Amino acid sequence: MRLELRGMTKRFGSLTANDQISLTVEPGQIHSLLGENGAGKSTLMNVLFGLLRPDEGEILIDGEVVAITDSGEAVRRGIGMVHQHFMLVPVFSVTENVVLGFEPVKSLNRVDYKKATEDIRRLSKQFNLDVDPDAVIENLPVGLQQRVEILKALSHDADLLILDEPTAVLTPQEIDSLMEIMRSLAAAGKSILFITHKLKEVKAIADVITVIRHGKVVGTAEPTATESELASLMVGRDVKLIVEKSPYDPGEEVFEIRDLVVLDDRGLVAVNGVSLDVRAGEVLALAGVQGNGQTELVEAIVGMRPVLSGTISLHGRDITNLTPRKALDAGIGHIPEDRQRDGLVLTMSVADNLVLNTPRRAPFASRGTRNLGAVNDYAVRLVHDFDIRTTSIKAPTSSLSGGNQQKVIVARELSRSLEFLVASQPTRGLDVGSIEYVHRQIVEHRNRGNGSLIVSSELDEVLALGDRICVMFEGRIVGTVEPTVSRESIGLLMAGHTLEATNV
Amino acid sequence: MGIVSLLDAPETTPNTPQVKNRRTRVIAVIMALVGLFTVFIFGFGSVSKAKSSLTFDPINLANAPIKLGSLTMPVRWTDIVLGLLMIALGAEVFIRRPRRAVMLRFGIVAILFLLALLFWAARSPGPSVISSVNLTSILVGSSATVMVLVFGSLSGVMCERSGVVNIAIEGQFIGGAFLGSMIASTTNNFFYAAIGGLVIGGLIGLLLAFFSLRYQSDQIIVGIVLVTMLGSLSSYLNLEIFTPFPNFNTGNIAPNLPIPLLSKIPILGPVFFNQSGFFYVMIILVALVSFALFKTRYGLHVRAVGEHPRAAATVGISVVRVRYINVVLGGAIAGLGGVGFMATQGQFQVGYTSGLGYIALAALIFGRWRPSGAVVASVIFGLSVYLSYDLVTYQFPVSIYILQTFPYLITIAVVAGLIGRVRAPAADGQPYIRD
Repeated sequence: MRLELRGMTKRFGSLTANDQISLTVEPGQIHSLLGENGAGKSTLMNVLFGLLRPDEGEILIDGEVVAITDSGEAVRRGIGMVHQHFMLVPVFSVTENVVLGFEPVKSLNRVDYKKATEDIRRLSKQFNLDVDPDAVIENLPVGLQQRVEILKALSHDADLLILDEPTAVLTPQEIDSLMEIMRSLAAAGKSILFITHKLKEVKAIADVITVIRHGKVVGTAEPTATESELASLMVGRDVKLIVEKSPYDPGEEVFEIRDLVVLDDRGLVAVNGVSLDVRAGEVLALAGVQGNGQTELVEAIVGMRPVLSGTISLHGRDITNLTPRKALDAGIGHIPEDRQRDGLVLTMSVADNLVLNTPRRAPFASRGTRNLGAVNDYAVRLVHDFDIRTTSIKAPTSSLSGGNQQKVIVARELSRSLEFLVASQPTRGLDVGSIEYVHRQIVEHRNRGNGSLIVSSELDEVLALGDRICVMFEGRIVGTVEPTVSRESIGLLMAGHTLEATNV
Repeated sequence: MGIVSLLDAPETTPNTPQVKNRRTRVIAVIMALVGLFTVFIFGFGSVSKAKSSLTFDPINLANAPIKLGSLTMPVRWTDIVLGLLMIALGAEVFIRRPRRAVMLRFGIVAILFLLALLFWAARSPGPSVISSVNLTSILVGSSATVMVLVFGSLSGVMCERSGVVNIAIEGQFIGGAFLGSMIASTTNNFFYAAIGGLVIGGLIGLLLAFFSLRYQSDQIIVGIVLVTMLGSLSSYLNLEIFTPFPNFNTGNIAPNLPIPLLSKIPILGPVFFNQSGFFYVMIILVALVSFALFKTRYGLHVRAVGEHPRAAATVGISVVRVRYINVVLGGAIAGLGGVGFMATQGQFQVGYTSGLGYIALAALIFGRWRPSGAVVASVIFGLSVYLSYDLVTYQFPVSIYILQTFPYLITIAVVAGLIGRVRAPAADGQPYIRD
């Protein structure tokens, strides 16, 4: 399918999310749409998929102007979408999910599951997807669920596939096999629109790259362009992709975990005998695919989750099973994984969120009364120092962009005297500019001679920040490596292979 | 998730074998404990020469060409045997940990327990005036309650499978019973009364759907408001219409329509084949809802909307439309149930549905949001509700108010996850907001 967008414009009130965007996807082409979060990629895709109506512009399919009024129409026109958050019903089988909305029926309006299953088996074979039609979605790993999404689009005879940030949730190995699938789809004549903000992937797979910024197309590039060329096009200024660190000079051990066992919400063992230590002036990066116990480990450290056995100590002092407040008082800073749930009170002002961890202390309060003057002065200073973009310190935090919300948390945590920083997925969902900023703050904290534990499922981040890297798999540390090892080795560790097997 | 939301496990909880096994074993232990209680309290706790008789003949003998006579049961040994059966079932579940039909086994234990309780209550010599247990009349007597619960829980299945909690079932019962009585009294025709019940129930469903879909109000609160409103409205209208004009509330009971031959089968005949039209409609509805929900395209859409509305919307299914349809249909079913209840009780009285709508919701949860499960649960709950009244005639030493808590106790155990894993449709009770 040849898809052409001409002058697409979409406004939300005074904000122009898409401004005169034009691009063309040729048949059999992998076309990358590169842009930061908030650049308007998702808006454009939602317009294309009929979830939003454009204010101006035309969509042409094979040279013919079409009106896409709803997602059903998009599907009928041969457009398939693999959403960033999978649109799969967890308790349904693969077959039920794939046929949903397009069921083959027998008499009495019955769904013809037999025919559907056969169709899926055939398609799965044709494109080497290796999906069992009878499997239930919630029992499948994320990579396979994504293939079900692709299968779903293919089963609706999609000729153009939109992949919205498809690699965000995958392991490096799963990303490789996704790329393989994308190549074979393109070879079979399908057009692919690949949305991402990850430069490495774009270079690896795209035939053509369109970069958008602030809702406008700012340029197209060949995959031969360097990463820093792409990054500066995307951000609009030069970006340092490599964090400059002072030489690694670890001091004494400041933080230690011994044989820690922590249960998850279901009462199953999530952290299974983890031991690790962090030294002064060191960033220990904890890599691993999400859901291997990292969340529970961090929650245990900061007092949000009880420790079943084992010890946590800071400067030799036992801090196991402290309450969150006592953990804060002990000097632990925490950048939580889910900033909107655990990091901020979104309805409260920026100023209030900036003192959320010390509201009762002088100078922000005395004798049980808040000292708003001091709070405001402090907030004004932090907003300036950390370059938080907000209309006012009184604005509700929910009105800030994701990157600026994260800056509020980073500012709050790093602005007090800290003994140890625990950061979980500190740059998830942030744009390149904000990532650079957050990384610099973490490294500065390290350079001041403090210890940090950074949990991340982003390999780039782990390699950029870590002085040492631990890989966690199914609740255990499966290996500790230097940041100089190959990406492949860490990828294998993340998939549960042992150090010996990966030959590091 | 509705009324379970506070207690239910997070929806993302995968079905891990470890958890499942432990819970299955908890059920097994509970079953065995109930068995032990039966053996020692009812069995060894009664004097060895105590007897009670078990009768199978229906009260209306005209329906039974074959007279069955009665059996004299030694209470101690009967209850010991029943108790041992329960322990055996518990042991079987504990050792084999079957993946399916655990709840069914639990239901069987519950029914065996009720039976053991009856023999013990009717023992002679003992405090009871009556020393016989008439199985057929118990089954026939409780079938009215069971029927209402089935209608109610089917209504719940329809609504909650599409993601809307219908806590207004009680209100739809009241509405159906009130209007049904009025129509039946004036036209003397239960078919018209049934139509009236469908309409009023559907309208109440429409109100619930309107507030929860159009304005995304909290479904529980809207439901409670509707029940309260209908309760008060029915008292008011009762005072203003039925009291001054008793002709509008004459208290007809729907005639039984015996099915030739089949109704003559001992025990089963009077229970299943000599009932009012409402009972037969209920059986057809159970099959119909089951078929529609799990075999048809419509059912797949409904379940998808109840589990993951956004996923359904991306393939072109109108979430709001599916929910409107199901809530109105569900309301109509509950309204029909209200007429059915009135048709077995006669005259409309204020407050006489006495919380059956809520027990139906409990049956829905116990039955795991499946029509078949809801039927099993309705039988167990219906029997226990009926027996709690019936046991008074046996001079049973425990207050009926305590006995009436039985369905709720089971429900709490189920909802708290003690007995098996129940999982509501993932989007149950959550407003759908397009963006």
